[in-house]
Amino acid sequence: MTAIYGLFDRPDAAQRAFTGLKRAGVPSADITVVSGEPFEAFEFSHRDHSMILFRLALAGGIIGFVLAVLLTRGTELAWPLVTGGMPIVAWWPNLVIIFEMTMLGAIVTTVVSLLVASKLPSFRKDLYDPAVSDGKILVGVPLTGGRSEESVRQALAVGGPAVVKTTQM
Amino acid sequence: MSHRWGMVVDLDTCTGCEACVVACHAENNIATAGPDEAARGRAMHWLRVERYWEGEYPEAKLKFRPVLCQQCDAAPCESVCPTYASHHTDEGLNAQVYNRCIGTRYCANACPYNVRFFNFFNPTWDKPLNLQFNPDVSVREVGVMEKCTFCVQRIKAAEITADAEKRELKDGELKPACAQSCPATAIVFGDLNDPESKVSQLYGSGRGEKLLEEVGAQPKIVYLKRQATA
Amino acid sequence: MSDYSTTLTNDLLRPLIQTSWRFWLLVVLLLGVVSLGIGAFAYQVNQGIGVWGLNWPVFWAFDITNFVFWIGISHAGTLISAILRLVNAEWRRPVTRCAEVITVFALMIGAMFPIVHLGRPWLFFWLMPYPTERQIWPNFRSPLVWDFFAISTYLTGSSLFLFLPTIPDFALVRDKTTGWRHRFYAILALGWTGTTKQWHRLESAMQIMAIAIVPVAVSVHTIVSFDFSMAPVPMWHSTIFGPYFVAGAIFSGIAALIIAMAALRKFLHLEKYLHPVHFENLGKLLLMMSLLWGYFVFAERLTTWYGNEPSEMTTFWQTQRLSFAPLYWTMVTVNFILPVTILSFKKLRTITGCVIASFGVVLGMWLERFLIIVPTLSHKYLSYSWGSYRPRTPEILLLVATFGAMVLFYVLFSKLVPIISIWEMKIGQHPQLAHEHQTADEASTMWRTQP
Repeated sequence: MTAIYGLFDRPDAAQRAFTGLKRAGVPSADITVVSGEPFEAFEFSHRDHSMILFRLALAGGIIGFVLAVLLTRGTELAWPLVTGGMPIVAWWPNLVIIFEMTMLGAIVTTVVSLLVASKLPSFRKDLYDPAVSDGKILVGVPLTGGRSEESVRQALAVGGPAVVKTTQM
Repeated sequence: MSHRWGMVVDLDTCTGCEACVVACHAENNIATAGPDEAARGRAMHWLRVERYWEGEYPEAKLKFRPVLCQQCDAAPCESVCPTYASHHTDEGLNAQVYNRCIGTRYCANACPYNVRFFNFFNPTWDKPLNLQFNPDVSVREVGVMEKCTFCVQRIKAAEITADAEKRELKDGELKPACAQSCPATAIVFGDLNDPESKVSQLYGSGRGEKLLEEVGAQPKIVYLKRQATA
Repeated sequence: MSDYSTTLTNDLLRPLIQTSWRFWLLVVLLLGVVSLGIGAFAYQVNQGIGVWGLNWPVFWAFDITNFVFWIGISHAGTLISAILRLVNAEWRRPVTRCAEVITVFALMIGAMFPIVHLGRPWLFFWLMPYPTERQIWPNFRSPLVWDFFAISTYLTGSSLFLFLPTIPDFALVRDKTTGWRHRFYAILALGWTGTTKQWHRLESAMQIMAIAIVPVAVSVHTIVSFDFSMAPVPMWHSTIFGPYFVAGAIFSGIAALIIAMAALRKFLHLEKYLHPVHFENLGKLLLMMSLLWGYFVFAERLTTWYGNEPSEMTTFWQTQRLSFAPLYWTMVTVNFILPVTILSFKKLRTITGCVIASFGVVLGMWLERFLIIVPTLSHKYLSYSWGSYRPRTPEILLLVATFGAMVLFYVLFSKLVPIISIWEMKIGQHPQLAHEHQTADEASTMWRTQP
């Protein structure tokens, strides 16, 4: 599949190109914007916000909590050994383990969710140009669904002068 | 009948002869550290006789106190051991399971009585002491903690014999090495669950008090001594 | 790319791409120091802990001092990176990665000591909860098992907290290098491109991690302090130990960070990015922590003195007036008197001043841990069992080797990873573009192409 993209020097130029593409009828979901740093101020960054990582972290914490309760209570009851005159299932000390495993659950879930949600590690060829590491902002669309290259080039030109390239994905 | 092992030590009768210390070494396969290591503080006396001077010459008095593992009911050493090498048995003893010990030495630090000892090296015995091992007691390797067990090997042997003979244990039938060897019979050992046993009768004596009772470890050993009169 | 960004990228990639003979010499020297420690450890495993100075009743000394010390140093990253991130303190940008690196490596070094100090270290894995044929599990009532869980969680969390924001920087280095470097960094970058979705997910993850890592860090050093406070022995069984140790950890962490930053600034020529104001700000934090440390020590000792409990007072006088007094008062000088003096005055709160104060604090905090452990263990309740302690060569070699290892890890890390977070520095040039949204209306008005 061929894709066409423009490399812009400034985020406001990229924003204009983005707006131009939307006006040309390209759905927002098809427009890829790639940058070397996040630009929250601009409309092209306003999509893809999600609370999913926070919710998953909470779920991971709950799973960690449950596992910790099972581990401590379960093993203490499986072979009851009296130590220090304390009860067999000593819930004060068990709270320490439960806290740590809850946090570990939240932390590990967060990282795994990040990787899955960002589709990392990625081995396929994504729409990218190493010029992004020189500070350029890439705005591009795949040429699918009968989209004409000319209309896309015109839309990208709204952003101002920029390098426009095509690539196979 | 279930047992609860206890001990009473009479400080007024104790002469400080340290026969108990030697007997303990012999019974429990405890090596001597040698002069260099002892100078470094590595001597291992599961039972030690503490010697204190009171007063000044010419009224100086010498006091002896045998200190051994108090088999505490709320033993601080038990809760801190990460591998359950130190735990409480249902006969009231603090068990030291050598095989589980990985040598963190936390139990020794938590013990208020300093009655726990660590094998800094693999123990060695000068000839001919290497021929004198007690086969009922394991030899501990380097890195493992050890302490007085109330001669648990003798307790177990006596219980097994009594069980096989389908009878109860008699008071005085079973003595740890220290009680057996004390010439002044200052150390009395027995079953606290048996109200007729000598140790139970001495336990409630008006001369009795426990060592460091205020620390809250609930030690089992009662020390008898002349209390100060008003 | 703006001039700033170009210079920034070049300056921060230079250490990765250019290597001088001085680097190799330093690495070889450090490897030598570390191997001394490894040799000392091998000797101890072969012969027994008896080659150390430990004895009855001082069963812990240098080993646990080093353990608590290094875990304490690891609190640098959490405070600076996580807390400053959460309060959006912009000045943290060049400092966060330096701090997070200290955390991860100090934790790794500290976490070795629960293994190194064991009498039978080949069985260290019995601290881990796993089903065994012996059918026994760890004793969850033991603070040492809490240590295992806490340090594992903190190490996992800190490593991930360090790694996540390096992903975009690895992508940058991947694009700017060729050959084996390009392949190496391409793997580390995990195929990161920088789509809006990826940035959003990354920032969400960083937010969650920053929120999660702070209570974990507090819990870790509290649990380490529980190794002492859960034992009913004089001057250990103190309720103040949790907060006292956490404050002390943050204190030593900031000092370590100042030293590391000063070294990086000098040897990697980062004067453009690590400004005197960064050291000033950290210096003010160090001053605050020094005052807090002094407050905790005062509160603890005044309470002990008023309590007048005989066993506690024995230990108390050992540090105040008797055999440990020289070490104790050195500690008070370098932990409190010296830092407060230097850091209270703006004229003295220069980079050099902060570094001097920090070296003092690092020494003082090591001494503090030593003085918590050894005076108590050598003077418990029964005076017949009192003892003393003197370190021997293997213990000293191990201690020196830990410092060598820390510097070695740091040097190797800064050779392979940009030591300042490039993408976060770029944001710092125009933070409002990273944080404040434009509404769709604003955007379409500002960027309208047709009237």
